[in-house]
Amino acid sequence: MMGRVYRFVAFAGGIALLVAALKLLNWLPLAAQKDLLKEYRDLEDAREAAGIETVFVPSYFPQNLSWPPSMIWAQGTPFPALLLEFGKPVGKETVLLISQAESESFFPGERIRFLEVKQSVPYSLKGREARLQVGVCPGGETCAGIAWKEGKYHIVVRAKTSPIELIRITESMLR
Amino acid sequence: MGLLAFIDSYPGAYLVQSILHSALAGIIVEMALKTWGIRNPRIRQRFLLVVIVFPVFSFPLYQAINPGRMSLSFRMEALLDSSRWLSFHLWGIVPVGAVGLILVCGVTSLVFLFQELLPVVRHTLESRNAWPGPERRGAEDPEAKRVIDMFPGSRPELFVLDDEEAALFSTMGRSGAVYISKGLLRALPPEQVQAAVAHEYAHVQRGRRPVLLVLFLLRALLFFNPVTLLEFRRIVQEDEKICDDYAADLTGRPAALAEALKRLYLTEREEKAGRGKTIMEEMEALESYSHRLHIESRIERLQEGIPSSGKGEWFAAILAGIAVVLTNYYVV
Repeated sequence: MMGRVYRFVAFAGGIALLVAALKLLNWLPLAAQKDLLKEYRDLEDAREAAGIETVFVPSYFPQNLSWPPSMIWAQGTPFPALLLEFGKPVGKETVLLISQAESESFFPGERIRFLEVKQSVPYSLKGREARLQVGVCPGGETCAGIAWKEGKYHIVVRAKTSPIELIRITESMLR
Repeated sequence: MGLLAFIDSYPGAYLVQSILHSALAGIIVEMALKTWGIRNPRIRQRFLLVVIVFPVFSFPLYQAINPGRMSLSFRMEALLDSSRWLSFHLWGIVPVGAVGLILVCGVTSLVFLFQELLPVVRHTLESRNAWPGPERRGAEDPEAKRVIDMFPGSRPELFVLDDEEAALFSTMGRSGAVYISKGLLRALPPEQVQAAVAHEYAHVQRGRRPVLLVLFLLRALLFFNPVTLLEFRRIVQEDEKICDDYAADLTGRPAALAEALKRLYLTEREEKAGRGKTIMEEMEALESYSHRLHIESRIERLQEGIPSSGKGEWFAAILAGIAVVLTNYYVV
């Protein structure tokens, strides 16, 4: 019986060491190369790490949202990208996502996931060709998203809000 | 960017994650084998099968459970995110992780092609043709008959080749048989010949089961995976030990088999890897050195006595299985 317990503890200890080694392996590239995707506290640091000159941020926020973002992700490699996430003041629920990246593949859509897209239409956003999507998020909330190209950057904004509110937010990002 | 885009795609992610999952499964299985002191080759082989089979299905299975597993959010929370290493650029120019991965996969694929696939195809084609030299049934040869008569019950067919070189091999499939040369019948004493033939009988009987073919096909799916390459070889080595155990059980003389192995494989002193050789010669020398080590470990095992199956193997297997599935889920 003691042998069995000893072996179980030894094996569990081995697994714990393995997990620690994996975490270390996961951290090493970040230590060696500063511009890999990671989380930042400060937008300016994130902008510098990503090597993005102009960051498109809204000047208008609906009542339930405020500056600063609850989470900032940025990377310079393999391509410059920046992600701003805004949550409700109470709780951790994400209600607005703004992504600015050189590649179209960069967008963590799962953080505000469309359960169903009800409408997807072209939209002229201050003279830019954009695509506006309106749908339903899990829980039956109305969600809206808009995507367009601004110079070399693909910008995607998605929010748990009405399309009108979303357009107000995005228009405040552009001069 | 093209290389990184491929690695980001579904096939690229399958390639990367199957390698990582098999490496991690290999480490966990090894830990379980060591912790529970499992030495029985039959049980060791079952554990090692996990390292071959699991990574074939792990990625699609995990994706089916959680389609968001490839997402940025999941990667940020993962235990190990391969994209960090694959995006790692040396001096900001060379994506060393991605280039290294492609190199390793390329070399592994070539090794698989030339050392496993082509030899198997060649062996299959050759075994369809009749043996070039004259042969006769063991029952018709007085020396071979003496060996066969020692075995109880019915056994696979034994053929005697009219060849003075020492040769002993078996063919697989439903009509698998054992072939022994006249030279070998004369070179070894009867009890050693009997032990060696019993070992080949075990191969024939194991070769009749389709599970080995299925395993080889699964292994072939991961032809690019260096961990699969190494672990498959370990499985083959464990198979030799299983056949040793079978022969020792059947004849009751493990020492005779150990002696036969010594005389057949360890009499010629192999040259150590030295200077002034080509890379191919060095590789061959290294491979023959590794083969020699394997034969020596089999001899040592037979001389020490065959270990019986240990206790708590099922518990070890269940724990190792859970650890493999859970940790790999967070390796993307």
